[in-house]
This record gives sequence, structure tokens and C-alpha cells, in this order.
Amino acid sequence: MSVALEDGAIRLRGASAVEDAEALLALLQAEPRRPVDLRAAEGLHASVVQVLLALRPEVLGPAADPFVTRWLLPLLAGPPRPEPN
Amino acid sequence: MDELLEQFLVEAPELVEQAAEDLLALERDPADAARLESAFRAFHTLKGSVALFDLAPLGRVLHAAEDLLGAVREGRRPADRMLCDALLGCLDAAGRWIGGLGHGGALPAAAAAEAGRLEAGLRRLLAPAGEAPAAPWLPALLAREAAAVAAARAAGLPLTALRFLPAADCFFLGEDPVALLRTLPGLAALHLALREPWAAEAVEPFTCNLAIEALSTAPAAALRQALRFVADQAELVALPEAAPEAPPEPPAEPPPEPEGEAATRSLRVDARRIDGLLDLAGELVVARNALAQATARAAARDPALRQALGPGEAELERVVRRLHRAVLDLRMTPLSRCFRRFPRLVRETAARLGKSIELEILGEAVEADKSLVDGLFEPLLHVLRNAIDHGVEPAAARLAAGKPAAGRLRLEARREGDRILVLVADDGGGLDAARLRQAAKQRRLLPAAAIDALDDAAAADLVFAPGFSTAAAVTELSGRGVGMAAVRSAVEGMGGRVTLASRPGRGATVRIALPRAVVVTTVLTVRLGEEDFGIPIDAVLATARIPLGDIQRLRHGEAFVRQDRTIPLLRLAGLLRRPAPPRRGRHAQVLIADCAGQPVGLEVDGVAGRLDVLLRPLDGLLAGMPGLLGAAPLGDGRVLIVLDLPELVGAEPAA
Repeated sequence: MSVALEDGAIRLRGASAVEDAEALLALLQAEPRRPVDLRAAEGLHASVVQVLLALRPEVLGPAADPFVTRWLLPLLAGPPRPEPN
Repeated sequence: MDELLEQFLVEAPELVEQAAEDLLALERDPADAARLESAFRAFHTLKGSVALFDLAPLGRVLHAAEDLLGAVREGRRPADRMLCDALLGCLDAAGRWIGGLGHGGALPAAAAAEAGRLEAGLRRLLAPAGEAPAAPWLPALLAREAAAVAAARAAGLPLTALRFLPAADCFFLGEDPVALLRTLPGLAALHLALREPWAAEAVEPFTCNLAIEALSTAPAAALRQALRFVADQAELVALPEAAPEAPPEPPAEPPPEPEGEAATRSLRVDARRIDGLLDLAGELVVARNALAQATARAAARDPALRQALGPGEAELERVVRRLHRAVLDLRMTPLSRCFRRFPRLVRETAARLGKSIELEILGEAVEADKSLVDGLFEPLLHVLRNAIDHGVEPAAARLAAGKPAAGRLRLEARREGDRILVLVADDGGGLDAARLRQAAKQRRLLPAAAIDALDDAAAADLVFAPGFSTAAAVTELSGRGVGMAAVRSAVEGMGGRVTLASRPGRGATVRIALPRAVVVTTVLTVRLGEEDFGIPIDAVLATARIPLGDIQRLRHGEAFVRQDRTIPLLRLAGLLRRPAPPRRGRHAQVLIADCAGQPVGLEVDGVAGRLDVLLRPLDGLLAGMPGLLGAAPLGDGRVLIVLDLPELVGAEPAA
């Protein structure tokens, strides 16, 4: 997949892999207020999900992938919820 | 650090290792009473020492473990595989927590929950069969997902709750826990959170830190099937059965105290004290260098003095060298320190993947510098896991190929001259060069024509390329990518080399060659602009701040006078062919170094400090540059370029 900075937003395209987490992290650390556009994302690798959970950027959906939209987007879009512990 | 804790941090890991070895032996031969006794004592001693510190959760786990072993001693329970697994799981957690204690102090936040789980697991083995597991996380999950629970109940569907804590290194193994979640049948609720909180700047993208909880309307058996490869990381609870807690066992009777320690001639010393000694030896080298210069000057004027000083001077040099060498030798450690942890880890990985593996270990008595022995653990673990996961075929395929059902793995170390070879050989299917090429093309590691031109050996080397695929398209090879690139960089960071040889159908061998002794070079780091450079301390006579007014301009350069000697002054920027900005301030920071017997002043922007580094030769474009001795990887990922001062100065027209 690709991680690209377009018009001030970080756009994820296609199915992500573990290497994408680092690129995403670097872009978010450089400018934490950048929104992350998941509309063209077809799958999020766990490493990408945890970067989004850690930095909590604004995410734009719905995603191309129904699993992401149904199950992950609500967790990433909402305010941080209490830890399961 | 408090002395008691220091002692504990040395002894506790040894007890953990001892207990693990005993349990593995016990599993092979459940009737081995000596091993049972030894395991019991190790747990008991560990529990006793843990009680001295603020480690209550660990104490409870160890207490339960001791009770369980007590039941085995009394013949109330067999020492079966399930029991050994549970106890090994406790030792694993104990090892991690004790290790963490040495690094930062307290137990991690999640330790209490994990300890609760471990303790419940042990108590369950003690209790009569058929009790439901205790799941301390369940109430919070049910409260959070109340809507999903109500919906499933209204529809008359059964519910299974799931908690999945993926292994921290699962990305290195090519696993994607989120992809696994997609395969779960009947998903009714899903929650992902960070297991440990992460500050934005402390995120480690390659470490899995997720806690996953879910509800499913599928039966527990179907979920177990979907999660079979991560069975040790996932906990399932069928609802709505309540989860009654097993009543705590009454404490076991105190065991007999171990007999007095066997007389030993060895002395246990904290590694940091040895390193402190190494620092002192390094300083002694510098002091001797300066002294040697002074005596040489004095002796030049006075032949009688030369006669008197000569033998002492030579003796001093010899002793200083031997001292430095002897301190380095103190750091030599047998590889068994690293190898002994593998039988258990290999067994766990194999069990997780549903494979049977026989591990043979050879040459664990070979010695190497402590930093190499410690540094080998992670890369070897990745290589072994890869061999089990991707190298060794499933039992059916092995039988069809005329091999024994159990895969064979050999970990071997041997000395070869001044190097150490560590080999990991499997008797699996080997690497498929055609598929490696295809995967490399998909990831565009090289132009397609270049990939086609690679012979099979060079194609096998592709697995070490950074970013070699972990994507879904090449699932069968996934995992080797990030892992093997990390292995190569770790091994090269220690001054070694790693290669892979494959025989299709017969297995693959990963070969790691390392220098036996670390060539520790002590360097002085100097700053130039934003960059640091290293200069071997052997060459350094002194550092000085020279008032700018004392710098004299000569015909071709500059010089200053120090202790009645005129010393030429060169600017490091000039030697490195970089622009030298005009001097600012009132002093020049100068390093006085010995260049082919002559003192030379080297002006730098600052002296940053002293470091012991592992020097390795330069490769690539830098290899041919004169004046560079080598490069030294620093702990933080940067690389320090170390300068060859005599060569650098010699290349300069005489000042």
C-alpha cells in the first residue's frame, strides 16, 4: 500500500503492511494535527492500527474495506476509551 | 542500586533458567525425582527472594507454582506436559519482569493482570477438573459491550468472549493480528487498545503493543480453531457460564532448606564493574602515551637519563598492554549463556505452530566477548523461529518426502581461527529461489532484469534485504523479511557477517561469522559542526584550549608553542576537505596527537567524550577514502566515523 501526504492529509491506499507503520508514524510525529484519510484503505495492518491508537489523529472514512469501516473506524475515530485492563 | 536488589538481579535469572531446564528434563522423563526436587527448590528459593521486594504479583504466581510442584512431589498430580507448560509460562513472565526490574524499577502496569491469569491457570491445574477459568478482564468487557451482549441474547445466540494479547515480536514473525481478526467467525464486538500506554515520541512501530478483546456468536471451538496458531496468546470464555474462582490452596509445608553451596573457586562480579575496570585501563593507555612523549624528550637531551628510563618505559608499556588485554578477557563468556535459553523457546514456537522439532545444540562451551554472546540472542531467536515456521515442513509433507516426522534443527558454534562460527541448520524444504525472485520483483527490490540475473545463492541473499516482502501476496515467505533484515543488521553491528545457504528439499543453513573478541577501540569523540568523529585514544597525547593570540602564522600553516615545543596546528575541517569557518571566541579547542612520532595539534569544534566502540571496516563508497580507519555503530542507530590521524595528516602537504 502507499502512505502519502496529499493536500495536508496523510492518505493510506490499498492494504497496508508492517513497513507502512513507520512511514505513518514519521508523518504524524512531524505534524500531529494531520488528518489520516482511510477512504482508499483496503486493510490496516495491526502495526498501523496501533500507531493510530497511540497518536489519535483525526481519521477520515468510511474506508474502502468494510471490515475497517465496521470494526476499526469506530475505535479510531472516537475519543480514547478506557483500557481493557 | 540497593545491594540486595543487585544480588537478586544476578541470582533470580539463574534460578529461572535452572527451573526451566529442570522442567524440560522432567517433561522428557516425568519419573526423574532429582529434577523434580531441583525444580521445586528453584521455585522455592525464587519465591523467597521475591518476597523481599515489591513484587507481590510475582510472589503469588510463584507461590501457586510451588504448590503445584508440591502436589507432584506428593504424588497427587503427574508431571505432564500441561503442567510443565504452565510452569514454563510462569518462568517466562518471571524472567521478563525481573529483567525489567533491572532496567527501570517497577513491574509493568499489565503485570498484575498477567499474574492473575497465570496464577489462575496454575490453581486450575491443582483444582479438580472441570472448573471454568477465571478471567479478570471479563466483567469490564461485558460492561463495555453491553449493547452487543443484549443483542445476542435477544436473538438467542450463544456468546464467546475473547481476549487476545499478541506477542510483542509478532510483526517480526510476519504475523498480523488484525488480519487474524478478520478470520474470526461471528464477530459481535471488537475492541483494540494499547496494552501499555505509549507517548507519541516513544511509539515503537515494530513492537506489537495491542490488547484485543472481542465477542463472538460462534462457539468457542470454532474460535479456538481460528486462533490455533496463537493459542498461547488468546483466552476464550464461553458465556453465560459464570466463572467461579478456585478457592486458594492452603500453603504447602515448608520444604527442606537446600544444602550448603558447593565450594566454588569462581567469583561473581557485576559486569558493570568489569566495564569500569576497562575504562580505567583505557585511561592508563592515554596517560602512558603522554608520559612516553615526555620521557622521550627528556631522554633526547640526557643520554644517562635515557639509560635509566628506557627499561622502565618498555616494561610499563608491556604491562599496560597486558592489563588492557586481561580486562578484555574477563568479559569472555561461554555461548551457553545464550544457547541455554533456546530449547524452551524452540519448543514453544514449535508447539504454537503444531510442529515437532528436535533441537541439537553443539559447541556451547565456545567463548566470546560478553557483548557478542548477549547480542547473539535476538538474531538467533529470529533465525530459529524462521527455520521452524518456514523451513521445516508440516509432518505429512516430511513423511511424504521420506524424512522423519519431527524436524531437525542444529545450532552449532565453533571456533575458526580468531572467528566464531554459529550455524543454524534445518532439514526442511530449503528456499525456493524462483519464488524468492518473484517476491523480490513484486516488492521492486531491484530491477526485474537484475533479479533474473541473480544466481540461486544471490537470490537466497534477498531474504536479508530490508523490506523483503511481508505482504499478503507472499504469505508463504512472509516473516523472513523484517526478521532477516534485522538479523543482518544486528550481526553486522557486532562486526560479523551472516549468510544463508539452501539445498532445495534438504534444508537451509544460516551461517553467522563473528570476531571472537570484540576489537574494542577506545576513541575520543570530537565534534565538527553538527557531526561527531572518533579518534583512537592510542594516538591522543592531550587536549588543550589554546588562546587564539598564541597561534602563530607560519609560511604554510599555523603552529603554537606548548611546553617549549612548537607544535603544528591543523584544522580538522581542512583535513576533511570541508569549509573551515572563521574562528570565533577566544580559544581554539585542540587535540594534541601523536602522528608518526611527532606531536600535531588538531583543531576541532569540541571534544565530546570518550567511547569504547566496535570498529568495523568501511564498505561501499567510503571504503577507498584515505584517512578513515573504520566506522563504529553507536547504540542509537548512528554510525561514528573513526579517523586514521597519521594517514589523514600525512596526506596533507607538510605545514
